Parts: sequence; structure tokens; C-alpha cells
Amino acid sequence: MLKIAVGHSNDPDSIEAVDEVIQQCLDALSGEIPQAGILFAAIDFEHELILTQINATFPDLELIGGTTDGEVSSVLGFQQDSLTLILFCSDDIEIRAAVGRNISQNPTAIAQQTVETLKDTLRTDLRLCITTPESLTTSASSILEGLRLGLGTVPVLGGTTGDQTKIQRTYQFFKTEVLSDSVPILLWGGNLLFSHGVASGWRPIGKRSIVTKVHKNIIYEIDEKPALEFYRYYFDDFAPDVAYPLAIFPPGEETFFLRGALSYDPDIGSLTVAADVPKRSIIQITDATKDSIKAASKTAFDDAWETYPGTEPAAALFFSCAWRRFVLGTQTNQEYAAIANALQHPIPSCGFYTYGEIAPLREKGPTFFHNTTFATLLLGNK
Amino acid sequence: MTPKDHEQILQSLAKENRILKKKLERSEADKARAEETRRNKESLLKRVIVELQDSQAILEKKSSDLEQAFNDLTLMQNKLVEAEKMSALGSLVAGVAHEINTPVGTSITLVSMLSDETELLMKSIAQGQLKRSAFNSYLEIVQESTDILLSNLNRAGELVQSFKQVAVDQLSLEQRTFAIKPYLEEVIVSLSPHLKKTSHALTLSGDDTLTIESYPGALAQIATNLVTNSLNHAFGANISGQLHFDIARQDNQAVIYYTDNGRGIASEHLGKIFDPFFTTTRHQGGTGLGLHIVYNLVTQKLKGSIQVQSQPNQGVLFQIVFPISVR
Repeated sequence: MLKIAVGHSNDPDSIEAVDEVIQQCLDALSGEIPQAGILFAAIDFEHELILTQINATFPDLELIGGTTDGEVSSVLGFQQDSLTLILFCSDDIEIRAAVGRNISQNPTAIAQQTVETLKDTLRTDLRLCITTPESLTTSASSILEGLRLGLGTVPVLGGTTGDQTKIQRTYQFFKTEVLSDSVPILLWGGNLLFSHGVASGWRPIGKRSIVTKVHKNIIYEIDEKPALEFYRYYFDDFAPDVAYPLAIFPPGEETFFLRGALSYDPDIGSLTVAADVPKRSIIQITDATKDSIKAASKTAFDDAWETYPGTEPAAALFFSCAWRRFVLGTQTNQEYAAIANALQHPIPSCGFYTYGEIAPLREKGPTFFHNTTFATLLLGNK
Repeated sequence: MTPKDHEQILQSLAKENRILKKKLERSEADKARAEETRRNKESLLKRVIVELQDSQAILEKKSSDLEQAFNDLTLMQNKLVEAEKMSALGSLVAGVAHEINTPVGTSITLVSMLSDETELLMKSIAQGQLKRSAFNSYLEIVQESTDILLSNLNRAGELVQSFKQVAVDQLSLEQRTFAIKPYLEEVIVSLSPHLKKTSHALTLSGDDTLTIESYPGALAQIATNLVTNSLNHAFGANISGQLHFDIARQDNQAVIYYTDNGRGIASEHLGKIFDPFFTTTRHQGGTGLGLHIVYNLVTQKLKGSIQVQSQPNQGVLFQIVFPISVR
């Protein structure tokens, strides 16, 4: 039995919002004590206050989460400047939280250590990891590499935290702490069933070029010219736009993944993208339409639904890219609505708009870091 | 309404107000963001259109380059064909040398022997020891040798004649306008001495009015060689064969079908019959040049093509197609 409670408030006042969210959860729980939770909050809230309030109501809650670029739930659908909490209760599923701090100092080692320390405390077999790591201080690929080293073949799903497109500072939540430069994880063991799906809706357009100089997630040269010129060629003198990520075809690969430009250095003409890019990759600019983005979200959910190993998932988590929101604009709410409307009985769900999505491309496949994708995770135990 | 109700309404309104204010704030930010996204999309699409135009220009250039390359290749092909012809001429000369070497070689041996015999005879006369029997023997040798010499030198002479015909371009053939069928009738009459010795029938049918502007000499040579080829190869002894020419017109082309109902051509020989010196009857004096001459006359003089179909015991069909006017 996996019992789910979801609360969601769009009241900009922190106290009012958290009180409303807690009340909705208490109503749904009808007396049961939650083991763990995930909290997604807009950047403008007073986050410590919110965590203190949650802790006061649900002490010992294994809580992770972070700040966002938008929130979504089965309670209010898509919102901005809102607060949403999902809580989990189960007598045969084990859920434990941990956090790796100062992750930029050594992202791979710290992430690996965090997993290994927590893994040893689990009494049941490790099945799944959910994470909401930092996005701005270090390469998310390096964090993911550390998680994978610690987890082996256990899949990771989640998204990196956001700050409403300010690209200044994002926060991660761990129990009662508000952190930056950290990687909170939630490990799941025991009688858990789950499935996942990812899709993007972006497609390459324009000329094909080659990444000639790159170090991890910083591209210095494209076609032996400063990388920034590649963007300026398409966008005149405007800054690189994350809504138009680069399609990266690793050497010898026919398929691509997407990397958005988070920042750039106008002096040396380098581009800092959301995760590592292999040298000599072929790159192309990409474009998406509102329809292709919405269709991809539905595809990601349908893939998860079709591969769910049980009969009835108890909850859905969504990790959608902030940059999808830029293109979808006023139609962003349709991304979740299309999924919810297709279900006979809506299932409790919760999610956020991220700066990068973490999910395997296929069942039992290795986990990858994505941009501009929509990832669905279905959870249950029957 | 109680004061408590009022307070609740006030609280609710205050919440709505907070939400609306925040939404307005966000809406402004999102609007700016949406404008930026749209502006970038416009810029991107404009650039992609320019790229497509550039690609189109490049493709047009490539297409023109390809056409040039194709023309160059055609030119190169023609040169290769010429080179191939020269190479064929080389093997032709080698073949001629080989063919002529046999009768000439035989003749040299015979003449050399005659010279030796004559010297012996003259010595005998000088010494006054000539016997009648020796003189008679010498005369026999001379008679026999001169017969063989004549035959061999005739053979060499024939080969030289044939070789002259192979070099079609060097033949001074007259070009004029003439009706094919009446002309071929004359050719058939001229062939009748050869046919009289046999019981074969040579017939002609087709378009009486078809007039062409071409080389009648070439046509006569072609017809003669085809008929000679049939007479030499197609029929065993005591067989009455049918040889037939049919003339037709196809658009601006004249078509001559020539058939015989003889023993046909073995499939392994079919691809070689136009090759110089290919013959199945070398021991009977075949030169292997007759159909080669036909091929050269058709392709070089008449600017046409020749095809052959045959199966063993099913006779043979030659189809010659060439323009009504060679100009």
C-alpha cells in the first residue's frame, strides 16, 4: 500500500501558502503519518519558514526538493509562484533522504559518497533514486556520474533546481535545511513498482557544425571559431537563448541529445551549457513548436503508463524543462492538462519546471542528463 | 453577516489580491520573455531561410558542375573509344601479320628450295654430268613448287585485299541518293554466279519506295559478305537453304533484316562473330574478316548498328538499322 497526499497553493504569502498546503495534505492523509516528501517552491518564498512549518506538522519527514521555474500538481495544475508538496506513506516501501553538500568542490566524489553512505542504512533492496540537485554551480553531468557510480544500475529520476529564469542562485531542500550547491537524494527500497518515460519535441534545424574545442560543459570553439558566433549567426547580436538548445550528435551517433546555453562569456566567446558535450560532436541549432512540445509530453507520459509493471500507479512525478515553458507561453498549462484529461481517474501528481531533467532514455537503460525534455515517473506498489 | 463572515471574506479577498498582484508581476516578466523568444524565433527562421537559399545556390552550382563533369566524361569516353579503336587496330595488324606470314613463309621456303635445286642443276650442266632423270626430277619439283607458290601468293594477295576493306575509312565509297530495294536486287544478280553452284534460294522483300542518302558501295559489300558468310558456314552439302533480305522503315531509320535457315551460330561464338580474324573455318581458308568488315561498314559508313540473333539449328537473323540520311 502506497498512500499519497498532494498539497498545492498559489498564495504568494509564505505562511498562508504552507498552511494551505499542509491542510490539504492532512485532509488527504486522514490520520496516517507520512514517511517522506518532495517539496517544490517558487524562488520568491521564504523557504526556511516553509520547511519549519512542515517539520512542525510532520516531524522526521524524509524531505527533499528545491526551487523551481514553475510548479505543477493534480491539485492546481500548472502554476507559477506556487508551493506544492507530495507526501508518501507505505508500510512496505522504505524511503530515505540524504544530501551531498558543497557539491561543486568535487561533484562526482561527493555525489557518489552521499549515495553510498545512505545506501548502507537501507534495510531493503535499493530500487530507485529521486534527486533535485543544484544546476548553476557545477556540471550536472558530473553529479549524475557520481550518483551512477554509487547506484550501479539503479535508475535516477529528477530535475535540477531553478530560480525562475534569473540564473543567479537556486536552492535545494533537505529536511529543514535550505541549501545551495548541494545534491539532495531520496532513495527508495522495498516493494516499489515504477516506470518512466522521456520525450522532448525539439528538432534540429539549420547548418551542421563541429565542436572543435570543449572542456566538460564549456564550449569554446565551434568550427574553429568562438562558440558564441554560432548563436550570433542565428540570433544576430542577441544573447544565446535557452529556448533554442543545441542538438548534440556525439561522434558517430545518429541520435542527438539537447544542451541549452546557460551562460556565455562575451570576451572569449565561450558558451556554458547545462552538461558535458563530447569533443568533435556535430551540433545544430534546434527549434520546437507548441504542438510538438505538447505532443512530446503526452508521449513521455504514455510511455511510462504502458511500461508500468503493476495494474495501478499511485502517483506521478513530472520533471519538465523550464525552456519548454518559454516556448509554450500561455499554453504551458496544457502540458499537464493533456495528460490529466486523458486519464479516466486522475492520479495524484506533482512536479516542477527544472533547469535539466534526469532520467534513463529507456527501461533498464542508463540514466542521462537532459535539457528541454519532459520526464514522467510513475510510482506504486500494485 | 456576522463580523466573522466579514473577516473570512476579507481574508479570501486579500489572498485573491496577493495572487493577482503576483500573477501580474509574473505576467510582465513572462511577456518580456515571450517577446524575446519570438524575436529569436524570427531571427532563427530568417537565418534558416537564408541558409536554404545559400544551399539552393550551392546545389545549382553543383548541378552545373555535374553537367560539366558529365560533358567532360562524354568527351573522355569518346577519346577512350578512339584509343580502343587504335588498340583494336594494333591487334588487327598483328592478326594480319600472323595470317599473311603463313603463305609468305611457305613461299620463301619454296623459293629458297627452288634456288638450291636450280644451283645443283646448273653445277651438273657446267660439269657436263646432267642426266635426263635428274632434269625430269627437277622439272617435277619446279612444277609442284610453282603450283604451291601460286596458291600461297594468291592467298596472301586475298588477305591483303580483305585487309584493305577492313580499313573502311580508307575506302573511297561514293555517297548518293538511291532506292534500297532495286539496288539490292542488282547486288543479288551479281551474286548469282556463286549461288548457281548451290541449290539455295536468295530472295528479297519489303518497301519498294524507300530511298536513302547513303553509300551504295558499302551496302553492296555488306550484302555480299552476309550472303558469302551464309554460303560458307550455314549449310551442309546437299542442303537447299533459304536466304532472305527484308527492307523496312522505322521513323527516320532504314532497317534491313537478313535471315538464313542454316545451322545457326553456337552461343559461345555469338559474342565474337564481329571480332577481326574470328573464324570457325580457318583450315578451309576462312579469314575471319567478312563479318568484321560488315560491322565496320555499318557502324562507320552507315552510322548505324547491327545486331545478331541465332540459336543452333534455328538459322540466323541480322538486323541492321541506319539513318535514311547520313548527313
